[in-house]
Amino acid sequence: MRRVVVTGLGVITPLGNDTDTLFSALMAGQSGVRVIAGEGPRGPFTGVGAPVQFDPAHYFPPQQRIDQIDRVSQFSLAAASMAVSDAGISFTDDNRDKAGVSMGTGMGSSLTLEETFTQLLLRDPDRVKPLTVLKVMNNASAGHIAIQYGLAGPDLTYSCACSSSSVAIGEAFRQIRHGYADVMIAGGAEAELAFGFFKSWEAMKIMAIPDRTNPSASCRPFSKNRSGLVLGEGAAVVVLEEREAAMGRGARIYAELAGYGSSNDYLHITKPSVEGQARAMTLALDDAGLTAADVDYVNAHGTATALNDVTETRAIKQLLGERAYKVPVSSTKSMHGHLLGGAGALEFVISLLAMHRRAVPPTAHLDVPDPECDLDYVPGLGRADQDLRCVMSNSFAFGGTNAVLVARQPS
Amino acid sequence: MATIFETVQNILADKYSVAKESVTPESTLESLGLDSLDLIELMFEVEDAFNIRVPQEAGTALKAATVQDIVDNIQKLIEQGEAAPIGGSLPS
Repeated sequence: MRRVVVTGLGVITPLGNDTDTLFSALMAGQSGVRVIAGEGPRGPFTGVGAPVQFDPAHYFPPQQRIDQIDRVSQFSLAAASMAVSDAGISFTDDNRDKAGVSMGTGMGSSLTLEETFTQLLLRDPDRVKPLTVLKVMNNASAGHIAIQYGLAGPDLTYSCACSSSSVAIGEAFRQIRHGYADVMIAGGAEAELAFGFFKSWEAMKIMAIPDRTNPSASCRPFSKNRSGLVLGEGAAVVVLEEREAAMGRGARIYAELAGYGSSNDYLHITKPSVEGQARAMTLALDDAGLTAADVDYVNAHGTATALNDVTETRAIKQLLGERAYKVPVSSTKSMHGHLLGGAGALEFVISLLAMHRRAVPPTAHLDVPDPECDLDYVPGLGRADQDLRCVMSNSFAFGGTNAVLVARQPS
Repeated sequence: MATIFETVQNILADKYSVAKESVTPESTLESLGLDSLDLIELMFEVEDAFNIRVPQEAGTALKAATVQDIVDNIQKLIEQGEAAPIGGSLPS
């Protein structure tokens, strides 16, 4: 069977726009969560979120018409460009037919959509910006990436809420494993810090109550005093390659993407299930030819909602048995927030960095233990000198889509 | 006050990174490096700048147009006053 390796990583995150800055911040338990202010129709609004510091001029040449590209696709293109240069790969007529792209997003081009409806409903019912359709279509990110690099193979977009980019990476992995592609640029992005989307999430009553004294500590996964998720924005992209080809060109290999598990809870549109989550984890390990005994780190979905964290804890226990108490499990969402459709890709990248740099990132702001969440969540600061043979990254979505990626040390 | 030509020239320079001096009445949009999407956007900018509405058929006809053709069309639309709305508008 064809094997798949990861040769390039690129990130745009609330904790920095390169993997070094991101990983240092995570290890130090730093948070990118802060008070954000925006413009609502009746004046400014504030909330707590994890925004990205992003200057398009740094990533795009002056002649590129970035006003034709929504922020979410700008993130995607910037992260893809980092991943491609990190991989040191170039696309030519020799490889482009079997090179593709697979991206995930949950809310898509939120800012352009909001701007469009604001324009239409509040200012001028007659017309909107001419290229609105091309900016808001959910496959804009993938399309722009394919054009940028001349990728003639599969051009895929997945939207399954918070699992979108784990699914995008998992399905890209299958494209290579089954021979439809040799190289895939895969990942996801989200840029949903727009007034209407923010209010919609608020209405779900699952957003964290802002911490008045320290807003950056508002997201507290697995802590007894957790109060919900914090929305974050950004993108993460990986370059996946067929192993022999990557080795043949002397590529630096971060890890082998060994398994992907995909399942549905089939119970409720929001309520997670232990069985559904555990099934996705088991499927991913089976797919990798590994067992629970091989797992040395789990990057949890860990949203900091009351229900997710208990359910996920139980699912991990069901998977790992007694070993569950020995394996570090962390939710880095405590620091970069919930990137929704971009979350899975970012957390997969973080898991690979953990394995590659022999260090486990922490769960920040876990101050009050919850008897129902009793695993080793690596509270506080990260741990250095950890040999991780195999890492697992979990994504569980509204709609019930569970997606789990398993990677191991390259061999 | 800027002439119609000068305004179009400014839009092309500001929005499409076209060198101002390369815009002549004889230039075609294609020769200035604009593609079909750029033309759609240019129509939007022109509508804003001259407070007119460019009907869909006029927009289509402009695809192979020179800058002078565009200037003539704008002149005509200004003289006609407000053109019929394009597509559907909300009932008032």
